[in-house]
Order: sequence, then structure tokens, then C-alpha cells
Amino acid sequence: MAANASVPRRQRRGFGPAVPALVLLALFFVIPVVSLLLRSILEPEFGLQNYAELFATSTYARVLYNTFLVAFVVTAVSLLLGYPVAWLLAIMPQRYANLVLAIILVSMWTNLLARTYAWMVLLQRTGLINTTLMKLGLISEPLALVKNLTGVTIGMTYIMLPFIILPLYASIRAIDPTTLQAAALCGAGRWQAFRRVLLPLSAPGAAAGGLMVFVMSLGYFVTPALLGSASQMMLAEMIAQLVQSLLNWGLGSAAAFILLTVTLALYAVQIRFFGGMR
Amino acid sequence: MLLTYRHLGGLGVALWAVTILVCLFLLVPIVFIAALSFGSSQWLVFPPPSWTLRWYRELAADPRWLEAALTSAKVGLLSAALAVLLALMASFALVRGRFRGRGLLRALFLTPMVLPVIVFAVAIYALFLRVGLNGTLVGFVLAHTVLAFPFAVIPIVNSLEGFDKSIEDAAVLCGASPLQAKLKITLPAIRIGLFSAAVFAFLISWDEVVVAIFMASPDLQTLPVRIWGALRQDLSPVIAAASTILVAFTLLVMAAAALLRRRISR
Repeated sequence: MAANASVPRRQRRGFGPAVPALVLLALFFVIPVVSLLLRSILEPEFGLQNYAELFATSTYARVLYNTFLVAFVVTAVSLLLGYPVAWLLAIMPQRYANLVLAIILVSMWTNLLARTYAWMVLLQRTGLINTTLMKLGLISEPLALVKNLTGVTIGMTYIMLPFIILPLYASIRAIDPTTLQAAALCGAGRWQAFRRVLLPLSAPGAAAGGLMVFVMSLGYFVTPALLGSASQMMLAEMIAQLVQSLLNWGLGSAAAFILLTVTLALYAVQIRFFGGMR
Repeated sequence: MLLTYRHLGGLGVALWAVTILVCLFLLVPIVFIAALSFGSSQWLVFPPPSWTLRWYRELAADPRWLEAALTSAKVGLLSAALAVLLALMASFALVRGRFRGRGLLRALFLTPMVLPVIVFAVAIYALFLRVGLNGTLVGFVLAHTVLAFPFAVIPIVNSLEGFDKSIEDAAVLCGASPLQAKLKITLPAIRIGLFSAAVFAFLISWDEVVVAIFMASPDLQTLPVRIWGALRQDLSPVIAAASTILVAFTLLVMAAAALLRRRISR
């Protein structure tokens, strides 16, 4: 018993310096987020009516569908485009690799609004892409590339590509090239070696990057708000609108809770199967 | 031979083609914006009919842009300072503490990084509505410190883990007080981690837009909020000029950081 009493004291050793940060996060992170989520079952009255309304109203259900659709397409396209880049990046001579990596990092660190603005201008009816396609005679009418989900998908793929390429690059670099020589010696053709050796060995990197991009896309606000339209909203915009314009905190909090739950669940999957993030 | 560069053959051509396309895709919009900011066309015709500094002059003539840039710098510096200070202390607890729930604490400290920003933005907006901190410098700094905190913790924890504590203990044995030993031995030894933490924390705040949109008032706006507001009105080339300055500044900070890091790591 006496030994037990001394245990808690020892178990707090070195905890002190964490207190200021803990206070900051408790006051300005944990408490606000938890009280926001509580509002989803407390406003306007106690119960789950906000969640029922979210899933039963076709407009809101449509937003959920849009969000998952865009996140899925963005992830798939980023993987398809990012895989060859990561692959070549992992084996190309170092001086080229440095250049490609520099381009990726510069694009990643360029202000999000600046990049989104660039796509707003490039994709508009009189933008460079439409005028070029019309000059080439490929189309006769300008395409509607912006103020819809096409624009959102292009803009988000642009932003997410580095987040696919970098983890994939790391995981392909870690593969021992002799495993592929062994596959060739055993008579595997290129396609077979790719499908049965390279692809499975790089799958964890692809899955980790893909999951991260999917999760980030689900909660994205800026790009969908600027490149999308009010009639084809995504979840984050809907939350902002419910809270800021419609002052419907109950419904907005319920939508935030759904986003939060899906995000944390997917991160839990990632940590469980691919062991942490970095 | 799929992982041997010299033996790729025709496949290498295909991979290079995709890589070059992706690099262009990543680079063109940034170059495009910079070019438009010097172009004379009000309607953002590309290539521009002629070159001009007009949009930069308009930017400089409007005091609201300058004010926004100053606010951004102030918020960024204060949040970075606060985040680094708290992260430094917290890192000592995370690396050297022996207490139950250390893993949990580490997870909590990194959560602001993975939580969808919109959820945090709405939550902190609701709290600040109640206590009257929306549209204030204090509000901005507190919110951005929370967001920047994980990005300050990671490099400091990493460098502290790489530091041999017995050197600090030796200083104490030689008569230094524990605080003295930390200030004179440990802090200089982990300076690269501290430096990265400060740069990351500043850039997180400098580029942050979602929380800032909720927090801003007409009188107090950061640069990204100002750009956001302008973007919702029209696509004027003045925004291209503002974006170019923002991007140039970020690249400058990164380049300076890389140079300094090389110097202090010697």
C-alpha cells in the first residue's frame, strides 16, 4: 500500500514543462471542438434530429455524395499521375531528381490562394485553356471548366499531387532493386514483374499517400469554395455556410461531427495498417 | 529491371513523359500568375499585350493591402514565437518525461495537424464569438499558435531525441545549475530544430486562410483574407500582384532558412 502511494508521484516525473502547452490546447482546441460537437445534439433541443435532417434532406445528402465523389476521383487521378513520377524519381540520376523534387516542393509551399487563383484564371471561359483548345479547333464552344465539380477536381488534384508523390517516392526508393533482377532471372516479363513485385512492394506507400489525400480532400474548404459553385457544394463549405450565413449551429455542428469522425476513423486505419504518419 | 534506370528502355520514355507533364502541371500556374502580374491586360489576356508595373503600383497605393501584410507579419511572428516556446517546453516533457499517458499527450499535441481545419475554424469562431476575441490580434495569434504548434513540436522533439543528455548532466556535475545547463548546452545543441520549428510555425500562420476568414473583421485582416475577399469579387490583376508577392516572400523565407541552416549546422 505504501509503495502504491508513491507510484503516482513517480509517474508524473517530467510532466511539468508540458503544462503550458496543455493549457493552451485545452482552452483553445479541445474545449471549443468538444463544445461545438455537443451543439449538434443540444441545439435546438436534445436529440439526434440534426443528424436525421442531414441524411434525410436531399440537398445535404447530395453534398455528402459530392464530397466523397470528388475526394475519390482526386485520390485516384493523383495516384495514376503520381505513381510514374515517384517511380522515375526514385531511380533517376540525382541531379535530375533534385530538380524534380525542387519543383514539387516549390509548388507545395506556394500559397494555396495563389495557386487556386491561377486555376480560376486558367479555367475560366475566356481562359488560356479554353482559348487554346478553340484555336486548335478541338472545340467550338468554351467548356465549362470552372464553377463546377470539374474545376474543383482539377484544382484539388493539383494541390494533392505532391502528397502522393513524396510518400510513394520514399517507399519505392526503399525497395531493393535486386528483387526485380531476381524476378527477371526467374523469367518474369516486365508486366509480370511490375504486377507481382513492384506494385505489391510499393503498395503500402501508395495506400498511405492515397489515404492521406482522400482524408485531406474530404475536409477541403478553399479550393472547392473558389473553383466550385454554390449548387454543387462540398462538406466544408456547407459547414461554413450553415454556421456563418444560416446561423444553424446545430446542423453545422452535426456536419462537422460527421467530417471529424470519418477523418479520425481513416487516420486510425492508416496508423493501424501502415504504422503512423512519418 | 524495372528499378534500374539504364535498363528502362521504352518504358523510361513513357515515365519521363508523365514526369515532365506533371512537373509542367505543377509549375505552369505559378509562373503564369507571376507573368500576369506584370501584364498590362485588365482581363488577364495571355500572353499579355505589353508589360507594366501598374498592378503593383495600385497595390502599393491601397493602404488596406499594406495593413493586411503588416497584420500577417505580426500574427506570424507572435504565433511562431509562442508556438516555439510552448513546443520547446513540451518537447522536454515528451522526450525526457517518464509519466503515464506520454503517448497520449504526444498524440494530442499532433492532433491540430490532422483535424480538418474547417472543424477547428468553426469551433474557435464559436468560442471567440462568446468571449469577444474575433477580429482581434490576440484571437488571431491564439488560433494560429494552436495550428502551428504541431509543426513546431515535430522538429524540436526530433532534435532533442538526437541530443545526448549526458552532456547536459556533465555540465551540471561541473557546477552549472540545471537551468544554466539547459540554456547554455542543450539549447545551442538543438538550435537547428528550434530554427526549423520557427520557420515552419511562421509559414503555417503566414499562409493560413480558413481560420483567418472566420476570425477577420473589416478592420483586421491578414493578407490571405484580403486576397480571398478580392477573389470573391473579381479576378483583377492586382490579386496576381499580391499573390506574386506572397509567393516570393515564402520562397525567400525558405531560401534564407536553407542558407542559415547550412551556416548554423557547421
